[in-house]
Amino acid sequence: MENTRVFVGLGSCGIAAGAQDIYDYMAPDLKSGGLDLEVTSCVGMCYAEPIVEIEHNGERRRYGYVDKKFADELLESVKTGTFPEKNMIALSEDGKKYLDRQVKIVLQNCGIINPECIDEYLEADGYKALTKCIEEYKPEEVVSIVKASGLKGRGGAGFLTGLKWSFLAGAKGDKTGDTECRDPVLSRKGDKTGDTECRDPVLSRKGDYKYLVCNADEGDPGAFMDRSILEGDPHKVIEGMLIGAYATGAKEGIIYCRAEYPLAIKRLNIAIAAGEEKNYIGDNILGTDFSFHLHVKEGAGAFVCGEETALMASIEGKRGMPRLRPPFPANSGINKSPTNINNVETYGNVPFIILNGADAFNKYAFKNSYGTKVFALAGKIKRGGLIEVPMGLSIREIVTDIGGGTSSGRPVKAVQMGGPAGGCIPERLFDTPIDYDSINETGAIMGSGGMVVMDDSTCMVDVARYFLSFTQNESCGKCTFCRIGTKRMLEILIRITEGNGKLEDLDKLEELAGHITKTSLCGLGQLAPNPVLTTIKYFREEYEAHIKNRECPAGVCKSLITIQVIPDNCTGCTLCARVCPVSAIEGMRKKIHVIDPETCTRCGLCIEACNFDAIEVV
Amino acid sequence: MALVNLKINGIDVEIEEGSTILEASEIAGYEVPTLCHADGLEPFTSCFLCVVKIEGGRGNLVPSCATKVTEGISVTVESDEIAESRRMNLNLLLSDHSGDCVAPCTVACPSSIDIQGFLTLVREGRESDAAKLIRETAPIPGALGRICPRPCETACRRSRVEESISICYMKRHISDTEIKEFGEVQLPDPSPSTGRSVAVIGAGPAGMTAAYYLRLNGHSVTVFEAHAKSGGMLRYGIPYYRLTDQTLKDEFDAIEGLGIEVRYNTVIGRDMSVKHLEADYDALVIAIGAQGASSMRVEGEDLPGVYSGIDYLGQIGDGGDPDIGNKVVVVGGGNTAIDVARTAVRKGAEVTVLYRRTRAEMPASSFEIDEALHEGVNIEFLAAPVKVEQKGKGVSVRTIRMELGEPDASGRRRPMPVEGSEYEIEASSVISAIGQKVVTDSIVETGVGLTRWGTIVADPDTFMTDRPGIFTCGDCQTGADIAVRAVGNARKAAYSVNQYLNGEDVTGEPEQFNSTMGALEDISEEVFKHYEKTPKVEMPLIGDKQRVTTFVEIETGFARDKAKSEAERCLECGCEAALECKLRIYSTEYGADQSYFAGDIRDFQNDHTHATIKMEVNKCINCGACVRACAEIKGFNVLAYVGRGFGTRMVAPFGRSLVDTICDGCGECVTVCPTAGIMYKKGAGNEAGL
Repeated sequence: MENTRVFVGLGSCGIAAGAQDIYDYMAPDLKSGGLDLEVTSCVGMCYAEPIVEIEHNGERRRYGYVDKKFADELLESVKTGTFPEKNMIALSEDGKKYLDRQVKIVLQNCGIINPECIDEYLEADGYKALTKCIEEYKPEEVVSIVKASGLKGRGGAGFLTGLKWSFLAGAKGDKTGDTECRDPVLSRKGDKTGDTECRDPVLSRKGDYKYLVCNADEGDPGAFMDRSILEGDPHKVIEGMLIGAYATGAKEGIIYCRAEYPLAIKRLNIAIAAGEEKNYIGDNILGTDFSFHLHVKEGAGAFVCGEETALMASIEGKRGMPRLRPPFPANSGINKSPTNINNVETYGNVPFIILNGADAFNKYAFKNSYGTKVFALAGKIKRGGLIEVPMGLSIREIVTDIGGGTSSGRPVKAVQMGGPAGGCIPERLFDTPIDYDSINETGAIMGSGGMVVMDDSTCMVDVARYFLSFTQNESCGKCTFCRIGTKRMLEILIRITEGNGKLEDLDKLEELAGHITKTSLCGLGQLAPNPVLTTIKYFREEYEAHIKNRECPAGVCKSLITIQVIPDNCTGCTLCARVCPVSAIEGMRKKIHVIDPETCTRCGLCIEACNFDAIEVV
Repeated sequence: MALVNLKINGIDVEIEEGSTILEASEIAGYEVPTLCHADGLEPFTSCFLCVVKIEGGRGNLVPSCATKVTEGISVTVESDEIAESRRMNLNLLLSDHSGDCVAPCTVACPSSIDIQGFLTLVREGRESDAAKLIRETAPIPGALGRICPRPCETACRRSRVEESISICYMKRHISDTEIKEFGEVQLPDPSPSTGRSVAVIGAGPAGMTAAYYLRLNGHSVTVFEAHAKSGGMLRYGIPYYRLTDQTLKDEFDAIEGLGIEVRYNTVIGRDMSVKHLEADYDALVIAIGAQGASSMRVEGEDLPGVYSGIDYLGQIGDGGDPDIGNKVVVVGGGNTAIDVARTAVRKGAEVTVLYRRTRAEMPASSFEIDEALHEGVNIEFLAAPVKVEQKGKGVSVRTIRMELGEPDASGRRRPMPVEGSEYEIEASSVISAIGQKVVTDSIVETGVGLTRWGTIVADPDTFMTDRPGIFTCGDCQTGADIAVRAVGNARKAAYSVNQYLNGEDVTGEPEQFNSTMGALEDISEEVFKHYEKTPKVEMPLIGDKQRVTTFVEIETGFARDKAKSEAERCLECGCEAALECKLRIYSTEYGADQSYFAGDIRDFQNDHTHATIKMEVNKCINCGACVRACAEIKGFNVLAYVGRGFGTRMVAPFGRSLVDTICDGCGECVTVCPTAGIMYKKGAGNEAGL
């Protein structure tokens, strides 16, 4: 057991796959041998969770698909020093394909270090970038480096981070809140944005006061980039914020994290406490004049609070509702003080840029996009997980090479990028490279990094309906087009999936989408029609099949399908009848079974259960 | 303060720095519509109706209430694109706005009579004011109040509680009370003379209504009437036991008394040429009705002893008494057939009505059918004549039994003869009342176009025919129809004629947008469940014996106290804010359509718990002005945004009623509410303007 360390990946994804059980199972055994079982987080290979890593004589072996039986083997190997060859997921063909195309800047430490231990972060060059800033650069030089790197906001909008920082750096914030407008577009002759008054007794402090906010209110269905980063390497994000604060003069930092991420919040709080202890956070950081306080604000579970003006309202204790910009946060943000908001991944890029220089970052370049992008690869994909790829890689390379194609083995049909605000990109456009401009041209958006893969058993009308119903439920209810417009679009989509659509409905959807896009207050409304528009654009024939022929080609829309037994294949095993939750299947043992279409709810459990491919959707 | 220069729709504007585009637009003379913005409140940008476009922007529309002016910008505040956005916006808001601007009875009334208004006046004992109110849209309440088939009562929401308000009889009550009080009907004075002249052909309900409104507008009006008296079908198609000579005299003579010349016994084409009319008058209104009887198309219908219903009633109306004998067969199922049957009963005849469908399909008013049966009329349903033969002094009607087949174009099931079911009915005479047609011989010379049904072609909004300056209204334009529609259309036609005579664009009477809560049967039970059941006041009738032997008016009218309690049954469906509601004003202006995005709509929900303030959340459009007024002006937080998505509501949070909040009734919310989402309670003493 000498020179041996054993790690279990305890990110939320690993825990969900049973990693905590494996940890609890292995820890006492190792403890009795005098070895502490160590904790790390998600290494990104979610498809292979639970993952256990064994480091022996400096050589690290990563084992996936660990169940208790295999855990026994691993425990034994620790004792013998002879390690199994199977399930070495990093070295397997699959694993190599998964990892080879990736470039890890933000995810560098994820799944490697213990996120709850600041020393491990320090060992991995942690806080060196901050130290370098304080020791070597003036704040404006830091802004210049970040500008030069070409880093764009990873939350989805893709605004240049360095430029954004320069607005806050240039803003003059004080208690009375007289702030000058530094917006390059709107500030003409230095017009004032209005009298502001900071009323919050806790947050308002005397003197020049600015806020730096980390938006960790990740809410897109299918997205888990921010969660994994915060769970896996919270210090990296904190260091990015500290550098931002140094560069802009912000004194107060708030990480707005969705409350549904308890592990991320726990690890952030541990990290902040450790950072304060070591004087990376707080007053007079590292003995200088630079002070920055940081705390976590838990979001109350509204998707719209990921929109920056709603997020600020939520921080102020108000209902999370967006407001018109301008004024932009840099001029009038939290409590009307200057505020800068970046996403988790954006801050996560900053230490690398400072430490290695802008060139090391922007050598990964494609068109106008630089560096890498983290994606949560999900849906019907063989190797799903968290990946980080350089700009310019194509969607096809991600789906086929990294992801290994569909989990079902069926033909891939599309990817949905950008969550409910994004769009569906069809397989024929999979050579589109990953960069902000190219993705926008398809009608989708880069978004924050959700990438949901769909095979040919996915109904695109149903997908549009799903995303729009999400957006409609999450609309704050303030502006007309978003509140009612998306509802009316959703009603039309539901009609179509139920076989009651008319061809004019497609025109009406596009008409309404145009108005919503052009005349909604915030991104939630403006982008809500995207999934509908892109699916109509690329899969119009599928809509028409629902409308003209009352059929769902993918066999998904329940009103338009029937589930029936294929008599030739049915062996009369009774399994389907036993799993049917509504007792719609009748049949004696060894007799061909029959599904009653009146009772059947088209849940599809029987199809999954059948071992003989004897049940089909028609 | 520094000044900023910008362009609003090409107009140079100079305005103080920090102002909004909305304010700059006002200077340029553009009134940009907004629902959520109100004086004294911070801009909020929820309604997005005030959108404008800034040149060189990213192509989106921005809310002008919150967008500050900047030097040198060029803004479009009115364009097709912007109007379309505003119209769609209103369509969306209306699709989730559950309320009636005007009550459904008024919407159903072809004369658009303000029923809720006149019922309120009756409640207050102001019958003569009520009469004035009715005459704003229909000048003959006494006649209509006796014979109208009452589309209003079919639409009346009170019928969801127990039965509809007795609207029609209330009109009669109003008219009777006025005459009792003043001895005659009270009409307004005409405007000073315009020097323009109009000829109206026909002194029926349509012609005289058109004449009335044209005369009030100061035009000189001459009416040409073929008969010896005015009233048209009201006199010559409806028996006096329903509508007395006195009532007709009261109302039609009064109209004539406004200075209208009526030339009786004057037939156009015979006594006066069309050319003459065209030369002598600045405009012409054709209101000749539908005076011809439709043919039964059976053998023998030209025999003596076979009459047409309108000829028969016409002769009675002129005081004649055609000999129909003592055993009469009436053919038809409409109101004329019933009128003929009941008249024949009064003339001492035994009457059988043949109708080829069943009672359910019968077009006559149900209460008229009941009265006829009560008076002893025998109705044979599913029976039709096939041949009439002379038999002795009388006739024999060969009749065949019918059965109902598939529905026809009218949606009614088509009657089919039952083979071999023929039988004979012997009678002294046969009177056919199966329909009327327009007889256009007299006005052919005008050259106006006719439809394939023989009615006069007219623009549905302006009632102008295809000949400029020649207008038409009443049955000759619609085909035989009810009087209240003739009156309503005549008023609209008069509006257009007035425009024409004043040299304005002829656009017709403007139509206001009307929101509706929906069809009677679709409305939530929630709306009605709090009302106590109160049966309607019955109309007193004369005794049966007197009924079947004389032409005395059967119905004797309400006593004043009974009328008052009937008026108290009104649910007041129409919105109190109907005149000042911004949503309605803009919906009218932009031509919004409530049904364009029909879908889920908010439920009926109100809060009347507070002493002075009431909330009708079903009319709320989520602009949030009340929430902000309470917070920003009053410093309270009585109301809040509650919920998310389509279901978001402006209400007192935590499920509280208004009375359980700290609301002191200051009314800041009422002042800013653009609709009737929040209002003062009636009689609370703080209604605006009272």
